[in-house]
Amino acid sequence: MLFVRPSRLADLDALQQMARTAQPVLHSLPHDRHALEARVALSEDSFRAEVDFPGEEFYLFVLEDSETGKLLGTASIVAAAGYSEPFYAFRNDALIHASRELHVNRKIHALTMSHELTGKSRLAGFYIDPSLRGDAAAHLLSRARMMYIAANRKRFTSEVFSLLLGVTDDAGVSPFWEAVGRKFFGRNFADIEVQSGGRSSTFIAEVMPSYPIYVPLLPEAAQRVLGEPDEKALLAYDIHLEEGFETDRYVDIFDAGPVLTAQMDRSACVRRNETRTVREAASAAQGATCLIASNRPGEFRCVLADLPALGEAHDADALLSAAARHALGVQDGDPVRCVLLHRQDPNESKGETQ
Amino acid sequence: MIVVRVVQTGDVDALVALAQETGPGLTTFKPDRDALAARIARARRTLEDEAAPHEQGYFFVMEDAATGDVAGVCGIETAVGLDQPFYNYRVSTVVHASQDLGIWTQMRALNISHDLTGYAEVCSLFLSPRYRTSGVGGLLSRSRFMFIAQFRERFPQRICAELRGHFDANGTSPFWRSVGSHFYQIDFNAADYLSSHGRKSFLAELMPRFPVYVDLLPEEAQKCVGLTHSDTLPARKMLEAEGLRYENHVDIFDAGPVLECHIADLRTVRESVVVPLEIGAADARADAPRSLVSNTSLHDFRVGMAAGVVTNGVFRLTAQEAAALNVKAGDPIRVLPSKHKQG
Repeated sequence: MLFVRPSRLADLDALQQMARTAQPVLHSLPHDRHALEARVALSEDSFRAEVDFPGEEFYLFVLEDSETGKLLGTASIVAAAGYSEPFYAFRNDALIHASRELHVNRKIHALTMSHELTGKSRLAGFYIDPSLRGDAAAHLLSRARMMYIAANRKRFTSEVFSLLLGVTDDAGVSPFWEAVGRKFFGRNFADIEVQSGGRSSTFIAEVMPSYPIYVPLLPEAAQRVLGEPDEKALLAYDIHLEEGFETDRYVDIFDAGPVLTAQMDRSACVRRNETRTVREAASAAQGATCLIASNRPGEFRCVLADLPALGEAHDADALLSAAARHALGVQDGDPVRCVLLHRQDPNESKGETQ
Repeated sequence: MIVVRVVQTGDVDALVALAQETGPGLTTFKPDRDALAARIARARRTLEDEAAPHEQGYFFVMEDAATGDVAGVCGIETAVGLDQPFYNYRVSTVVHASQDLGIWTQMRALNISHDLTGYAEVCSLFLSPRYRTSGVGGLLSRSRFMFIAQFRERFPQRICAELRGHFDANGTSPFWRSVGSHFYQIDFNAADYLSSHGRKSFLAELMPRFPVYVDLLPEEAQKCVGLTHSDTLPARKMLEAEGLRYENHVDIFDAGPVLECHIADLRTVRESVVVPLEIGAADARADAPRSLVSNTSLHDFRVGMAAGVVTNGVFRLTAQEAAALNVKAGDPIRVLPSKHKQG
C-alpha cells in the first residue's frame, strides 16, 4: 500500500536519485549530496519544531510503498516562500481602458512583477515515479500536503500557492521566455532556470522588467501560453483545482506557467475533513475513496482508502484494513482525518472554486 | 516668381480648392470651408496680437505672383500643448544588468510624455502635385524659418516638427496594428482625425499608462519606432539641413520621428542677414548662386527665391521680383544664401 510520510535522513539515497531524475529540476532538492542532506535535516527539524507562526520551516514528504519499502515520489511545503528574500511572480492585472465619447471599453491585461506571494506558504518539489500507473498516487502525494496543513494550521499562512510548469515545446523552448525573458536576460531559458534556483534570487530584481508588460502587445505565441500548464503538469493542475486552488491571479515570471492560489479555509482538505475513529476491518471497505491521515506527534501519515458514506453524522467510525492501519501507524480507537478524494456534487464544487 | 506669404482673409476660396487636391491621410488640411476660415482668422488674430498664447499660430500660402494661382500651404504653431495636451512617446533606454550572471541587456521603452509642451511646431505643409518641381518644396518649407528669423521674439526657445511614420505596402501602420489598435480600438484615420481636431480626451482615457517595452513588440512594430515615411524623407532631409534632429520623441500613433532643436540653432536664424535692397538686372548665369529673400513686414510677410548673393552689403532683385515681395529700393530685406541644391 502507498502512503505518504515525512522524509528522514535514511531516505537520502533515494531522494538523491529522485532529485537527479526529476525534469525540470526541483529547486527544493539540490543535486549536491551535502546540500540535499541539509534540506532533509531542515525538514526533520521543521516537523519536530514547535511552531507558532510560519518561518523558515521546510517540510519534505516521501511516497513509500509499504510492501517493498521503496520510495516512489516526493513533495514538499515551504512554510513561507522567499522567507529571507522576495518571491517573484507576475501579477496578472486587468486594466480598463474606456472612453465614453468613443463608446469603447476594453479590459487590457498587464503583467506586473510582484512580491505579494512573498512569505506565503508554498507547495513545491513534486516528483512522482513515472512507473506508477493511474492518477491515484499523484492525488495522494500532492494532497497529503494539504492534509498535513489541515492538521497543523498555525504552521502555515492563510493563503497557500503552488507554481506549475508552463508550456515548453519538445526542444524545451518556452514561447513566453522567448518573447519576454530572453529580451532581458539574453540567454536560454534552461540556463537561467538552473542558475536561478527558484524565484527569489537577487538578480531577478536586476534583470526582470520593472514596468508592467501589456499582454496584448506580446506575440500571439506568448499570449497563448499565459497561465497554461505544460502537458506534463496537467494532472497536477487538475489535482490543485480539485483541492480548490484558483487560477489566473499570478503567472510565473519565466515561462508564464500557472501560479495557483488557495485560501486555506476554502480548500477541500481543510474545509471538509472529518475526524473519525479507527475500527478494524477484515478487508478494505466498500465506498468512496478518501484521503485518510493520522497525525501522531512527530509522525504524520496519509493513505488512500475506501470508506462508506462519509459525511453522515451517525457513522463516526473509519473501518480500515490491517494494511491501512499499519501504513497509518494507528490502532483501533485512534482518531484519523478523512476527506473525500473527489467531490461528489459537481455543482457545489463549481460554486466553491469561483 | 513663386512667393510664400502670410495668409489673407480673401484666400479662403483658393484654399478650399487647393485642399481638394489632397488625398486621404492628410488630416490637417481638408476642403472644409468653415475650418479653413477659422484657421485663417486665427492666423490673422495672431498677427494682430489678439490671440491668446495657446491659440497662436501662423498660416502661409504659396502662390505664383504672376497668375495668383495658390499652390501650397504651411503653418507654424507658436506653442503646442497649452490648450489640449501635446502627446508623444519619449523613447527611453532601459538597462538590465546582473554581475552575478554576467548579464547586460539594453532595450528601449516608450513613455507617454508632454516633453514638447510649449515648443513651436512647423506643420500643415501641403504642396500641389502640379508644383512639385525643383526648389519649390524647399522654398515652401523654409519660408517658415525665414519668418521665425525675422520675428524671433514671437517664438519660444525651441521648435519641433512631426514627421509621418512608416506605413507598409497596404498603406497601414505596423506600429498602429501592434500597439495603438489594442488601446484605442478605432481605426488609425479616425484616431488621427480626432487628435488633430482637438478632440484628444480619448487619448488620456485609452492610451497606455505604463511604459511600453519596444523590444517585446513584434519585430515589424519595433522597426517603426523613429522610422520616417518614405514620402516624407525629403522633408526630413530639409529639416535636418536646417538643424533639427531626432531626439528620441516619436508619434503616439505611427511612431514617426519628431525632429527638434533650439530656435537659436536654426541655420536660417544663424545665417540669414538683413540688408538694403537694390533694384537691377538679375544674374542670368545658369549656375548663379541663389538665395531665399523675404521682406520684413509682419502683416504682409513674403518670401521668394532669387538669383544672387549679398554683394557689397546689398542684395539685388529685379523690379518684377521686388514687386512680388512688395518691397522697393532701399527697403531692408532678409537674405539666406542657398547652400544646397534644391529638389
